[in-house]
Amino acid sequence: MPGLGRGWRRRARVAVGTLGAVLLGGLLWEGYKAVGDPDGSTLFGVRLLPRADDAAMPHLGEILGRLTEPELAGGEPVGLVVLRAAGFTLRAVAVGFAVAVLVGGLLAVLMQRFRVAERGLLPYVVLSQTVPLIALAPVIAGWGGQLSIGSRPWQPWMSVAVIATYLAFFPIAVGLLRGLQSPAPIAEELMRSYAATWWHTLLKLRLPAARPYLFPALRLAGAAAVVGAVVGEISTGTRGGIGRLVVEYAREATTDPAKVYAALLGAALLGLVVAGAVGLAELLLTPGRRASTR
Amino acid sequence: METGAVTDRTPDAVTDPVQVEAVVDRAAGAVVDRVTPRRGRPAQVGRPGRPVEPGPAVELTGVTKVFNPGRPDEVTALRGVDLTVGRGEFVSLIGPSGCGKSTLLRLVADLVPATGGTVRVADRSARQARRELAYGIAFQQAGLLDWRTVTRNVELPLELRGLSRRDRRTKAREMLDLVGLADFAGHYPDQLSGGMQQRVAIARALAVDPPLLLMDEPFGALDEMTRERLQDELLRICAGKGTSTVFVTHSIPEAVYLSDRVVVMSARPGRIVEIVDVALGERTEATRQSNAFFAGITRVRQALRGTSPEAPA
Repeated sequence: MPGLGRGWRRRARVAVGTLGAVLLGGLLWEGYKAVGDPDGSTLFGVRLLPRADDAAMPHLGEILGRLTEPELAGGEPVGLVVLRAAGFTLRAVAVGFAVAVLVGGLLAVLMQRFRVAERGLLPYVVLSQTVPLIALAPVIAGWGGQLSIGSRPWQPWMSVAVIATYLAFFPIAVGLLRGLQSPAPIAEELMRSYAATWWHTLLKLRLPAARPYLFPALRLAGAAAVVGAVVGEISTGTRGGIGRLVVEYAREATTDPAKVYAALLGAALLGLVVAGAVGLAELLLTPGRRASTR
Repeated sequence: METGAVTDRTPDAVTDPVQVEAVVDRAAGAVVDRVTPRRGRPAQVGRPGRPVEPGPAVELTGVTKVFNPGRPDEVTALRGVDLTVGRGEFVSLIGPSGCGKSTLLRLVADLVPATGGTVRVADRSARQARRELAYGIAFQQAGLLDWRTVTRNVELPLELRGLSRRDRRTKAREMLDLVGLADFAGHYPDQLSGGMQQRVAIARALAVDPPLLLMDEPFGALDEMTRERLQDELLRICAGKGTSTVFVTHSIPEAVYLSDRVVVMSARPGRIVEIVDVALGERTEATRQSNAFFAGITRVRQALRGTSPEAPA
């Protein structure tokens, strides 16, 4: 089937491109390390380029190698510790992201349905993002300490998930609202001429039309959820996650610089997992032929 | 005078009533059975498969429409409009920009409410008629949903009506056959030309078997050849189903060719200045060159000229 062949060729091109981008990043790292000043380049006392010595920029081989070596003498390999921490954080990211989709989606639908709600809520939605996360995180952790879900006590990771939600609902609410408002007036009149209910108009017209706006918003929200979870872990002092690990390893940065980069790889992996999940959702929710064009 | 020369003239050239008279006799003899015979006057229309309901398809009495009432930008779009469209009748609305012809159509469709007067559609209020899907509507833009295939676009009104998947498929297929797009059922709208998209929109409007078809310049964006072909298709479909039609257009020849009656409107405030009866009978290749056609064009143009501010009314 020629269509299938084309599909595979396209997929192969994407794979080669991705690999090329990773290689290029590695080359830039190593290239700068080779030609850059070990003490960094400064101009009138302002550092323009970072230091290129082994403490600031360990060799890539060293970072990857560090993953397989034990964390401390006789301990587990760093790679395993990082993976476990990433898995712990992933739970907060996933729950936070899911709640953000729910909250952001409901807000968007509410704002689309009621003009009053849009006028009343949108400023607060925007305002919510200007509150510094570092100020907010202890408050959320404090509230959480007094809550329980049924008989189960509030877990610290739940506070982290709430912080992830807090960052991630915003792009969804704003992006989806825009998407729900995107159908042409003529399409809305058409639905009216069919005596379609508000619910039917939402399902048959607004939500499908919102897809090109929703998926970029979901990508942003996914990244925000990861950042929110990592920063949330750090600022609430939650143990077990990748955020905490980054902080711990950073303390050893002067003696063991490769270790903190290994932890950062774990955070990057989280981002990839979330981006992959959104990509998969887009593939499943967009009519086959068009998935590649959007 | 040589008749052959006259038939080749453009509509604009025929203004002399004597010339027109001369060609009428000739055209009358050259009738070819191309288009299904149309019903003449509304009352005797019996639609197959649908009980014949009494009363006109559309009845407007003293209809007034004011936009933004009481505000500085208040506009009287329509004032004191009376119009009756009989069942099975094809009525065109024509007039200068801003004469409210589109507004009139949207009042009938209950897309905007009337400020005054009454709008009745098939003996019901316009609102009730809309709720009962008593009409199909098509606009200047096809307005297809670009994430749905052609078939699924035609199925949309049927879906909202709660028809089963199987019934929807059957009906959509039938409608696409009707507009000659059966081969494109699985295509997406952006793979079709403008004319084809418009035909899909017409198929969609007809899918619910509406007793009334409302069309707002549906062929406005199309080239002349496509336009003429779709005009013939529309006439064939409406005649076959006994559909009553209200058709908004800017084109005088289009209005005359399609209509039983052409409603000529004037602007500021929008009102009906004249209703021109056109009786072209069966449309054939020859109709567009016939004297009756040109005579109709002349009458509509004269009525329109009376409405323009430059000429004395």
